[in-house]
Amino acid sequence: MTSAQPFFVGWAAKIPKPLRAFLAAVCVIMTVGFAGAAVLVGATQADPDGGRFRFDIGPQNLEGTVIGGAYPALWVTKGTEAIPAGKVILLNGNGKTGVQDRVQPLAGKAVAVRGILMERGSLRMLQLGNGKQGLAAIEGDAAAIPQAEPLGRWRLSGEICDGRCAAGAMRPGTGLAHKACANLCIAGGQPPVFVSAAPVEGESFFLMTGPAGEALSPEILRHTAEPVTLDGALTRIGNLTVLAVDATGLRRR
Amino acid sequence: MSVRYIPVQWNRNKWFYDGVLLAAAILYIALFLYVAPPLADHARPVDAPIWRARAFGTCAYLMLTVILLIGPLARLDSRFLPLLYNRRHFGVLTFFIAIGHALFVLDWYFAFSRTPMLEALLSSNTAFGHVVGFPFEALGILALLVMAVMAFTSHDFWLSFLGPKLWKRLHLLVYAGYLAATGHLAFGAWLDQATVGLTLLLFGGAGAVAVLHVLAAVKERRMTSTASPDDDWVPVCPPMEIPDKRGRIVVLSPDERVAVFRNGDTLAAVANACAHQNGPLGEGKIVGGCITCPWHGFGYRMEDGRSPPPFTEMIPTYRLRLTDGMLFIHGKANPPGTYQEPVRLMEGGMT
Repeated sequence: MTSAQPFFVGWAAKIPKPLRAFLAAVCVIMTVGFAGAAVLVGATQADPDGGRFRFDIGPQNLEGTVIGGAYPALWVTKGTEAIPAGKVILLNGNGKTGVQDRVQPLAGKAVAVRGILMERGSLRMLQLGNGKQGLAAIEGDAAAIPQAEPLGRWRLSGEICDGRCAAGAMRPGTGLAHKACANLCIAGGQPPVFVSAAPVEGESFFLMTGPAGEALSPEILRHTAEPVTLDGALTRIGNLTVLAVDATGLRRR
Repeated sequence: MSVRYIPVQWNRNKWFYDGVLLAAAILYIALFLYVAPPLADHARPVDAPIWRARAFGTCAYLMLTVILLIGPLARLDSRFLPLLYNRRHFGVLTFFIAIGHALFVLDWYFAFSRTPMLEALLSSNTAFGHVVGFPFEALGILALLVMAVMAFTSHDFWLSFLGPKLWKRLHLLVYAGYLAATGHLAFGAWLDQATVGLTLLLFGGAGAVAVLHVLAAVKERRMTSTASPDDDWVPVCPPMEIPDKRGRIVVLSPDERVAVFRNGDTLAAVANACAHQNGPLGEGKIVGGCITCPWHGFGYRMEDGRSPPPFTEMIPTYRLRLTDGMLFIHGKANPPGTYQEPVRLMEGGMT
């Protein structure tokens, strides 16, 4: 500090003249810097590579047989253009709440459902509507669901996600920043899905269950959204591939 | 002047300072929300609430970074001091923007669940042993709590109520808050997507804060004078190194700083802390014969550390001596308001 340097008193109404140009430059640099940072940080964000709700094709009215289990699905016998007969589609509920309570009593029975399709590549789900309009038992015999086809044991690398957000309920609906949300969704009953880093048997998305088809263990759910490698048995039911895992073969990458 | 709580009034400078802050923050958020999305050119857009959360979150982090840059910049170049004196307003605005970020996050990631929002926030990720997957939300909560404490106690009333020493220590928590915010950004957003923008914001920002603090510390260390164990007299500098009507801060210990002033051919030393709000007197100037604090203009006479009548503030004085062209200060302070004969320079700068 030199005696010639201007003296600024915090409460003074006037800034000393020699300081004015300097402070004006600081103000401009700061404002321009903030503007540049906003564009740089905002515009370089990663593409969410996301799924979507298919509100554009309207609600889907389907009939079929409920495939029970920890995470229920529907074997479609009467479909739509977007979800034709002969497909298996996972069922999920609004928000972070699964549909087990509504669907499980109808396992193996013929039902009519109405809901909104969500899809991300080959990962497809139906968000059931509320009440009987969304899900109701119907007269007649339930069609037999396809036999489960074992595909053997596999070691897979990828990410454990909640299927609903991954399919398009959120964009991005995967990744570390989404971990807590994924945990809440899966804990609420939404189906967990493994997103494989590389396709296996032509498929990259796998419904996850415990070794005997039960809900995933909390030990595995501690690793949602993290890059992991795990060992499990793959089974195909129609177009749905199920990965049955326990925590023993799980490793963080 | 009084040691009682005196509200410091707004003035044109403060309105301007706050106006620039507000303009910069609004510009950041507006550009992030409305200009960046088309430039990002995503096949399908990021959800609007997530985009808003990112805009507010990164804005708050940038602002916190700038707040922490101001301190060392002012130590390295006194022209930045005016930015330092109104920094509290910067902090309060940053807190409100961080609150905006938190609300957007809560109302999206932790909504639509049977679990209540706050319970969901605290319980949905507990993988504290993981590096990748660490519950970065906890770090965000910590940063927000620190900012809340600082924002709520930023008013002069709290400075007077808590006392300058405790208030200052409380506000040093900003470093813990910044560390937590950096961890929050690093373990959450950056590990998730190490984009160019986030990488520059995180490492450029935190790196600049670290480097400037080191540089400022090195400069301060050079100016630190310490007493040898067998001598209470501490070397300061040749007297003419102190600019006329200006002070030089001498660090006697981490808790004790002294301001040595030169007014023409007289030199005197007083405690560096103003009796009003612990303002740095050594960064002040002699105006109208009094050492004038740069924060609020409180004045003290050089020779006895007393405010001129009718004011009653007093600060400690120190003994000085000049030996072989070098100024020395005695390490033991006189009681506040004690008269201490100033050192007078003979022609040529010697006694």
